[in-house]
Amino acid sequence: MNSNPKRPALRLAAVGVTAVAALALTACGPDITAGADDEATSDRLQAPSADKPEGEITIWDRSGDLYEVFDAVIDDFNKKYPDIKVNHEAVDINAKLQNTLITGTDVPDGVFLDDALVGGFADHLWDLTDVLAPYADDIAPQKIDATTVGDGIYGVPYDLNPGLLFYNAAALEAAGVDATTIETYDDLLDAARAYQEAVPESHPIHLEQSPFLGQLQLEMYASQLGTSIADADGELRLDSPEYEQILTFLDTVQSDGLGTRAEYLSPTDIAELENGNQVFYPWAIWFDFAPQQLLPETSGDWRAMELPAWEDGGARSGAMGGSSFVLPKEGENADLAWLFYEFLMYDEAGYSAVWGINDIYPTGLNTSIPAYLPAADPAKPLFDPIEALGGQDLWEVATTAGAQIPSGTSIPSWWNGAVDYLGNDLQKMLDGDLTPAEVISSSTDAIQTNLIDRQ
Amino acid sequence: MAKFRRRSAPYLFVLPFLVIFVAFSVYPLIFTARLSFTNWRGSGAAEWVGWGNYTYLLTSEAFWSSLGNSAVLWLLIVPIQIVLAVIVAVLLNSAKLKLRGLYRVAFIVPFVTPLVAVAQIWVVLFDQQYGAINAFLGVFGIPDIGWLTTSAWAKPTLALLFLWKTTGFIIIILLSGLQSIDGSMYEAAELDGASKLRQLWSITVPLLRRTIMFAVVLQTLAVFQMFAEPFVVTQGGPYNSTTTAGYYLYNHITRGDLGTGAANSFLLVILVMVLSLFFVRMLRAKD
Repeated sequence: MNSNPKRPALRLAAVGVTAVAALALTACGPDITAGADDEATSDRLQAPSADKPEGEITIWDRSGDLYEVFDAVIDDFNKKYPDIKVNHEAVDINAKLQNTLITGTDVPDGVFLDDALVGGFADHLWDLTDVLAPYADDIAPQKIDATTVGDGIYGVPYDLNPGLLFYNAAALEAAGVDATTIETYDDLLDAARAYQEAVPESHPIHLEQSPFLGQLQLEMYASQLGTSIADADGELRLDSPEYEQILTFLDTVQSDGLGTRAEYLSPTDIAELENGNQVFYPWAIWFDFAPQQLLPETSGDWRAMELPAWEDGGARSGAMGGSSFVLPKEGENADLAWLFYEFLMYDEAGYSAVWGINDIYPTGLNTSIPAYLPAADPAKPLFDPIEALGGQDLWEVATTAGAQIPSGTSIPSWWNGAVDYLGNDLQKMLDGDLTPAEVISSSTDAIQTNLIDRQ
Repeated sequence: MAKFRRRSAPYLFVLPFLVIFVAFSVYPLIFTARLSFTNWRGSGAAEWVGWGNYTYLLTSEAFWSSLGNSAVLWLLIVPIQIVLAVIVAVLLNSAKLKLRGLYRVAFIVPFVTPLVAVAQIWVVLFDQQYGAINAFLGVFGIPDIGWLTTSAWAKPTLALLFLWKTTGFIIIILLSGLQSIDGSMYEAAELDGASKLRQLWSITVPLLRRTIMFAVVLQTLAVFQMFAEPFVVTQGGPYNSTTTAGYYLYNHITRGDLGTGAANSFLLVILVMVLSLFFVRMLRAKD
């Protein structure tokens, strides 16, 4: 029993103080307005003007081989800029970047980021239009599109990932199918049918089973036709003849029993690649990692060619994935970080060290090509021919394909969110549960309602 | 002055806790509540949207589907796990069992094994065409099952992973409950001629009821917050059939839709609180 009448008042006061403190702390959060924030600030990055720029920069990269490659370039960078100290950190970027940008604590000066994520972070990033201006005309147009939000460019384009048609040349030759004559997707269907006739248990063309990668591959096909899920203003454009054509092709592969349904390089996928049931793999250049490391039985049998065209004379490649370097506005020395990326991407010493022969990749980094066109010269290979592709000169194939990738393919900030709708609907179609028209209609409605209208 | 000191002393003693509690619990809670009424995406000013995020979620098929997935997983996991854990705990508690320590360690090993490693093994084991599980079932003429690639089987496969991974932990909790039961009760029951099964049903289970209910509440929270398992094994698929309530919430956050994520987390808190209260009420009613 409470014998002191003043105690409840004291408790009440304590609770009150706690509540006030909490509310005061909460006020540290974002300002709340009744309408959209129209604040416009100048956020165009300018290169440092000092003759001998100096300072310290923090650069985030993903852990792994690529981190090692970039790390090895720092010494070369310091030969040119001896007074800039680079703190290179291996970070789980997807897990850490969002919180770091929101809190503004320990924000790095430069970050390696998927192109599909650049749009979502644009508010936190420097607009690089001015610093990129001297190089913009020499950068693959698709990469400029991918990093453009509104009127600004928010990433230093890193790599170009041209889509290629990987094929098991040995298996096809044994079946009497000449893959080198494939020029259009109709030719690909014919070749697949011919192969299936010779190898009845086969399902020659890969049909991706992961919603995310399936959508990425769909966008590769669309990129070939100069379109993408949304235009530069964020307007959906799934309901178009281009997407209808692509989805009809995929539906035909499925309904005619020409496709292997498997997740990219899952146990089933690898087994079907190794046993010769799956011999056509339309994918980004980075699939070449599989014959080099995951397909010991058929390593050496694989080759790559440009993608088939959607119509005679059409583009023979589209982009699938890719990354760029972004510079957060809260970074202390973003202008110095720009110098690092400028060296890495646009200085011959830089890009040669990344893609050329190095300690980490003794024959060069061959899972992508530079987005900077002077560096992606078919006549000046940076990486060696690949033994796992029968000694083929993949550099020449990839750079020739990359040069054909059309522009006009924006990546909206909600691209990843669309996987729940377009990615899943695509899988339903490949399982025979939806028609191409239903995919277009269902995905368009869902993306509009759940993503675009809620931006 | 002395009176003030005496009165304020208790409050000063709890002040360090209070500061930490306000900073890391009360503040985030109020911040999240505030956020749930905005469309803030992590930068700039947040626009007040009233109940917009809540009405969006409550009318969203995907939100209800995520709750439905969690509910089905709960049904597949919790009842089976509790029954299994009680049986195993009783066996491990038996004085006649040799190598008890070894068994106890064996049961807790899955719980301390990193989930990512387990998930990779799961993916390989349950591969439709080349997995060991289908190969084994094939011996009996059972056709290949798409354990992780069909909506019908993905949830049971995920539930099996969760059962394998966490049942050892529940067994340890129940073991501690069992060890608090007075052994003389079993001796008396034996003198009265009660069988082992009768002892289990009439002594062990009633006296373990509080511990069992604690385990049920714990696992209910775990199932409705389940995230890592679908994230590493199925990525919420196929067709969102393993997108749990926790995973759906995560999707909002990673896509920068912080307002909707905050509203979603509050709806989840309410749901879990209601469920927990329900179980506590059940326990009290029995008492």
